[in-house]
Amino acid sequence: MSTTVEVPVANPVVPARRTRFLANLWKVLRRKPSRMVGAFIVALFVALGIIGPWLYPENLPKSADLLAGPSLSHLLGTDFEGADVLAELIVGSRYVLTAAAVAALVTVVVGVAVGLYAGYRRGRPDSALMRITDFVLTIPGFPLLLVLTTVWKFESALQMGLVLGLTGWGGLARSVRSQTLSLRERGFVEAARGLGLSTPHVVTRELLPNIAPYVAMNLLIGVTTFIYSQVGLFYLGVLPYNSTNWGVMIQLAVNNGVTQTGAGLSYLMAPLIAILLLTLGVVLLVDAMDEVFNPRLRED
Amino acid sequence: MRKPVVAVLTAAGTLATVLAAAGCTDSSSADGGVFTTIDGNHPINVNAPINPYNQASNTFVGYNTMQLGWAKNSKTDPNAFYPGLAKSWTETPDHLKLTVKLQPKAKWSDGKDVTAEDVKTSAAMSFTQGGGAFAVSPGAAGGLGDIKVVDSKTIEFDQAAGSANNSFLRNILSMNVIPKSVYGPQMPADIWDTIKTATDPKAAKADQTKAQNTITSLGKKLVDFGPKKDVSAGPFVLQRVNPGEAVLKKNTYFFDADKIGPKQVVLKNYSGNEQIWNYLIAGQLDAAPYTSTPTNVVKKIVGHKGNGTVKGFSPVAASLAFNQSYKPLDNVHVRRALAYLIDRKLTTKIGEAESGTASQTTTGLVGDAANAWLGADGVNKLNPYAHDTAKAEKELKTAGLTKSGKTWMYKGKPFTLNIQAPTGFSDWIAGSKSISSQLTDFGIASSVKTSADYATYLSEIAEGKYQVGFWLTALGPSTYNAYARLYGPSNGWTQFGAQVKHSAAGKDGNWMGGTETANVPGLGTVNPGDLTNQLSQADEAKQKELVGKLARYSNDQLPAIQIWDYVNVQFTNTTRFTNFPKDDSDVLRLSPGVWMQLGYIKKK
Repeated sequence: MSTTVEVPVANPVVPARRTRFLANLWKVLRRKPSRMVGAFIVALFVALGIIGPWLYPENLPKSADLLAGPSLSHLLGTDFEGADVLAELIVGSRYVLTAAAVAALVTVVVGVAVGLYAGYRRGRPDSALMRITDFVLTIPGFPLLLVLTTVWKFESALQMGLVLGLTGWGGLARSVRSQTLSLRERGFVEAARGLGLSTPHVVTRELLPNIAPYVAMNLLIGVTTFIYSQVGLFYLGVLPYNSTNWGVMIQLAVNNGVTQTGAGLSYLMAPLIAILLLTLGVVLLVDAMDEVFNPRLRED
Repeated sequence: MRKPVVAVLTAAGTLATVLAAAGCTDSSSADGGVFTTIDGNHPINVNAPINPYNQASNTFVGYNTMQLGWAKNSKTDPNAFYPGLAKSWTETPDHLKLTVKLQPKAKWSDGKDVTAEDVKTSAAMSFTQGGGAFAVSPGAAGGLGDIKVVDSKTIEFDQAAGSANNSFLRNILSMNVIPKSVYGPQMPADIWDTIKTATDPKAAKADQTKAQNTITSLGKKLVDFGPKKDVSAGPFVLQRVNPGEAVLKKNTYFFDADKIGPKQVVLKNYSGNEQIWNYLIAGQLDAAPYTSTPTNVVKKIVGHKGNGTVKGFSPVAASLAFNQSYKPLDNVHVRRALAYLIDRKLTTKIGEAESGTASQTTTGLVGDAANAWLGADGVNKLNPYAHDTAKAEKELKTAGLTKSGKTWMYKGKPFTLNIQAPTGFSDWIAGSKSISSQLTDFGIASSVKTSADYATYLSEIAEGKYQVGFWLTALGPSTYNAYARLYGPSNGWTQFGAQVKHSAAGKDGNWMGGTETANVPGLGTVNPGDLTNQLSQADEAKQKELVGKLARYSNDQLPAIQIWDYVNVQFTNTTRFTNFPKDDSDVLRLSPGVWMQLGYIKKK
């Protein structure tokens, strides 16, 4: 007689969830063309950020025409050195996106952790964490960054993202705490507690999914804020020079009299339009993410 | 002469930041006309004192601040001056004694006479701020040893024993003169005894230190002092200041008031070059001093009715200087390779197209000055370092560098070069970027780094933090000043009286780290710091000989590579005023206030 032993299979829950999420996302995106446009823009910039520096590993394509307008050989014209503006834009996208993504991640991780814990535990931990949050909120972000540039040069996008994130999580923490305070009194949370489920379980399985839409929106909107901040710092010239950085491109366009004469306008406009497009893409995507995370908004 | 820091800033086309705002002018001054310009030395600062020794200051050289003389824009003679508050002067051939006679009719705007006592008070004030002939250190080269009031309009200056510096006259005549009636009460009665103790090499060390400390602390107090009301010996006196502009009215007590056309001068505030361009494009300025301006903006400016440019000689060059402590930059063949690699014409086109010309070669002097001292033949004998990648390759191989694929390697690692420039110096940054691209194309991985501001740049370059950086050289017309940029304290040589001492790389401000001597074909072993020091004491014939050697040394050893010579490009508008100085005038580096004193600028 033979005995059949069943080999345990890996927990299929996670892949299934991922598949379901992607399927939902695709369905939600397709529902409105604007969402597809948003997703396309964001995907395009992400792709440029990944492959950009590989496309131009050494010097960028150059022309003898300085500050030239768009042409077939230089679709977005050239800069003060005759370098191709489109190539600069592509190469520069990695720093901008990486810094923004890291900053958003730090904001979400810290903001959600602090907000959830404070709101759920209440009492002294809540008071202590909220005082810290209030302190972070009272720090004027951009002026602080200006001061930090005197000691920290942010040559790595990770550094930039980390600092932006660590100075920008206060608002999210406050909001998440408010949401948590409201949710923890709801029946399903009380039921979970009544069943004796552990605090980590209640927080991660009951509370977190319910604040996820809010967090997702904050994550994306935070990305746009962080893009503005870092580009602003480079534009002000307080950070080291990098000819492909979008903020530096704007600064150098201004320094080369583009605003006075209009010559080389595409050099000035290219990074500005890139920022605008990226922001537009993110905003359009937020609409989709909202529906993905919030089943009540679904139309089917 | 402008203060060095101001000259540096002006030459590099970078201007400090202050908010600018529109302001109103006094229409009642329409009589002689309102002359509108900007002050090239500094923007307007409402809170600054009316004190010419304060860096921000609401005093403006040539308008309400007078010097004994006004330096001519000479290619070779640092002691060529127009009379200012001094009507005339005589200097002994050995430069040891200078006697100055003041303008007999010179008066302050409060009606009091300008006297020799005012000049003596100004000298005391200069000692509290230090530098030049007024360095508070015993045995300082070219220092003021004694000052004697001969009569109310005559004063005598003696150079301190130990050296016969040929810049003594220039340093004394460039002194800002302040009224004793205002500044005298701020100074202790025994100030000259304290100065004497501080500068006397024979004084006891403890007394000397105490006196120096007293002067330093007094200097800090005096530099912040400012009278409530301007007391000016110049053609104008400060009427009011607001965040947008400073308004000066004609000083009726000025000794040459008849020559002064405008009844009022308005000095507009600015936050940077862009603001000055905007004023010029709108035709608001009657004149603007040197401002680094890209070609497209120059075209736009001169397109406005009445606007035009006046161009002249500038004794300043922008160079790429090496810190030879970073290997392999200590190898002369590597420096020569870089000189061959950098296309100076292309770099100048990108960095300083309008206000610069590509340097002919590296001599330590700007092209015009080099030609004047060495003759065209002398310059042509030097290596021009024309753009030549084959020669660069040969030099790098001689230096022991190898090639791996496209990349040049030094001791098994890629040879990389970071070029440093200060933020805000758009011409230097653009030039650096061009050089960086050229080097990268050749296989030397190069990048541009920027420093937060010029002050940080200077302090960090002095600390030896940069491999290569832009550096102003050839600061003439004094040949000593020009070569001291290459073979002065930043390269280890410090003057003590008539002697010179060399410090090792990394010590006493020596960041360039060149060797103390080098063997130059045809010259033998040369100590460039020693030759430079001799320049400060030499007569014209001797200077010619020394410049010949130093130019050859600089061309052979390349402590820095000259990239472009600046051209002094100024803007004028002839809609409201006429009779501006012409191209190549020797007054071009002076302010329009001085032009007016010399009879220029009349209402149309």
